[in-house]
Amino acid sequence: MSAPTGHASSRQAVLECAHLVRRFGERTAVDDVSMRIAPGETYGLLGPNGAGKTTTIRMVCGLLRPDAGSVYVAGRAMSTAAGPAKQLIGFVPQDVALYPDLSVRENLRFFGRLYRLPRRRLERRVDEVLHLVDLGSRAGDRVDSLSGGMRRRLNIGAGLVHSPTLLVLDEPTVGVDPQSRHAILESVHRFGEEGMAVLYTTHYMEEAERLCDRVGIIDRGRLVAEGTPRELVALVAERDRVRLTAVGNLTAYAKACRRMARIEGAARSGEHGDVVELVVKDARSLLPDLLDLAHEQGVGVRSVEIDEPDLESVFLHLTGTALRE
Amino acid sequence: MSAVLAIAAKDLRQRLRDRSAWVIVFLAPVLISALMALAFNNNSEFRANIGVVDLDRGPAAVGLTEVLKSPELADTVHVRAYDDESAARRAVDAGGVHAAIVVPEGFSAALHGGRATPLTVLDSVDYGLQAQLARAVTESYVAQVNADRLSVATAVAAGASQTDIPQLAAKAALLHLPEQVRAQGLPDDPLKVISYFGPSMGMFFVLFTVGFGARGYFVEQQQGTLDRISAAPVGRGALLIGKSVSTFVYSLAGLLTVTLVSWLAFGARWADPVGVAALSVAMAVCMVCLTALVIALVRTEQQAQGLASVLVFALVLLGGNFVFASGSTPMIRRLALFTPNGWALRGFTDLGTGVRGWDAVGAPLLGIAAFSAAVAALTAVLLRLRRTT
Repeated sequence: MSAPTGHASSRQAVLECAHLVRRFGERTAVDDVSMRIAPGETYGLLGPNGAGKTTTIRMVCGLLRPDAGSVYVAGRAMSTAAGPAKQLIGFVPQDVALYPDLSVRENLRFFGRLYRLPRRRLERRVDEVLHLVDLGSRAGDRVDSLSGGMRRRLNIGAGLVHSPTLLVLDEPTVGVDPQSRHAILESVHRFGEEGMAVLYTTHYMEEAERLCDRVGIIDRGRLVAEGTPRELVALVAERDRVRLTAVGNLTAYAKACRRMARIEGAARSGEHGDVVELVVKDARSLLPDLLDLAHEQGVGVRSVEIDEPDLESVFLHLTGTALRE
Repeated sequence: MSAVLAIAAKDLRQRLRDRSAWVIVFLAPVLISALMALAFNNNSEFRANIGVVDLDRGPAAVGLTEVLKSPELADTVHVRAYDDESAARRAVDAGGVHAAIVVPEGFSAALHGGRATPLTVLDSVDYGLQAQLARAVTESYVAQVNADRLSVATAVAAGASQTDIPQLAAKAALLHLPEQVRAQGLPDDPLKVISYFGPSMGMFFVLFTVGFGARGYFVEQQQGTLDRISAAPVGRGALLIGKSVSTFVYSLAGLLTVTLVSWLAFGARWADPVGVAALSVAMAVCMVCLTALVIALVRTEQQAQGLASVLVFALVLLGGNFVFASGSTPMIRRLALFTPNGWALRGFTDLGTGVRGWDAVGAPLLGIAAFSAAVAALTAVLLRLRRTT
């Protein structure tokens, strides 16, 4: 890790991964990833598609054997005590993994039985989860009759039936409508508050910022930074993102900007190529110089936006690429 | 154990909710067995209307008519006389009679040493079986006549007087060919069509469970539920056993349903119910092995569907599910011994002809077990190879 600023909890970790490596042929999908999640902590694994998030999660859940490294769930090694370790994990895959021809209740009951819940407790937990994911009124309906958002909620519910100690969610909001997305984020937030440890992967920066106590930024299989959102943003402290919407020779203008002091990056962007994005130190004091330069270059500035640093800026700063490239 | 039962119960519930599975494994074999029973099993309904044209007017022609009207054939053959061949031909073409036998002029005279004159059978393509019966009766009768001629000729050659020929011919006509043939080592009961085709159709359709099972595995893989099961504290063995149990139960239920319906509704008879159950269980185990083999060989649902279909049709064609084993060539009969269904049908045939116990099902059970073991071993090797590549 280039910027290991995160702090591990002093309490016993619910999840402890050390130096995980997984290769697929010549490609190293996960390269020396370590992380620790404390009870009640929500940990976000943030990275673009193909960064290695799902591979990491599959190793954590015992679905994939690491080429090197170890996974411990509440002190139980996944390599030697897979059963007890898996018993503590609730896995929520990225795609809806349910039986469409079974009812909502039958799905929950089935996944609960896999965790050997006694019959009475299983029935009680199924009712609780139905209430939790707000599907009590649809309990007897087949899954293929539910809306996409309902299926997503049930997909999460199926990972909760056995009351896991660690809930692992792999991009649960991909392709979800805003309303369902909000409901899912609210639920995950509540799980953390109730003391459940959560490992949450996403490529949505806002989700990581909103939900996670700590965030690990993963890129090309490597964990490049880890810490609380505040700690991570501090890595790019005093750097602002400036978006200038303008007309004229913006390529030449961006080039000229890059030669200025305190400007760390400048590139033409925007849907119509009418935006110049800049990463600068102390944007407000630099703004008059930027506007003067635009005037000199014959560039007509229509609007200026200055963004405070966020995880997106952190990712850009650390990897040189955008999260949603 | 709880996880195994949960997986098996879930799979069975899903299959029972699939209407096509009901049709293929339960309904279709029962219906087809019923149709076959109706088509072939009502032998007492067989009738042959046979016309006779007697141009000979002699004792030999009368003898033929008497044979056709004999008590042995009375339930089956109805005889109608015609004056000439063209009238008989018209009757055959119009369907008035199914076939007609023309006894030519001089047929009886041939008995006394005259020139042999052939009988003619007029037939119709619409009534092949009846024509076959008419030909068989005629050939049998001609054989008798030829034997009479031979005995007369032998007597004359030995010095009998020409004047004694009519008497000799009359005596010869009273003698009959030693036509009786007694089969040794065969059971006494004739095999009823439904006793063969009931289990045969059951097996044919139950073989489709191989496709269901294999496709179901890949569907689960695709929809992510297999991963979800693997993420639970369920060992790989429990997953495999759970899925195998559902395939076994489903196959066994299909086979037993068809045999029960064939027995209760269509009069199928097997000498030993335990033997029937043993063969059904062995075939259900074999379905599990074949399903595992298909899963080990392919990578997608479509490939599973394709391979399972090829496997099903290869096995039923080689195993003799569509024809009686006795009706196929020696080569096919040998090839049937390489199929589990071929062995099972042997067992059902023996049980259907009155053979009991180990004599009926011993060799078939060993044959099916050997096939299943070979398939299981191949599957294990393929899965091991897949894991290392």
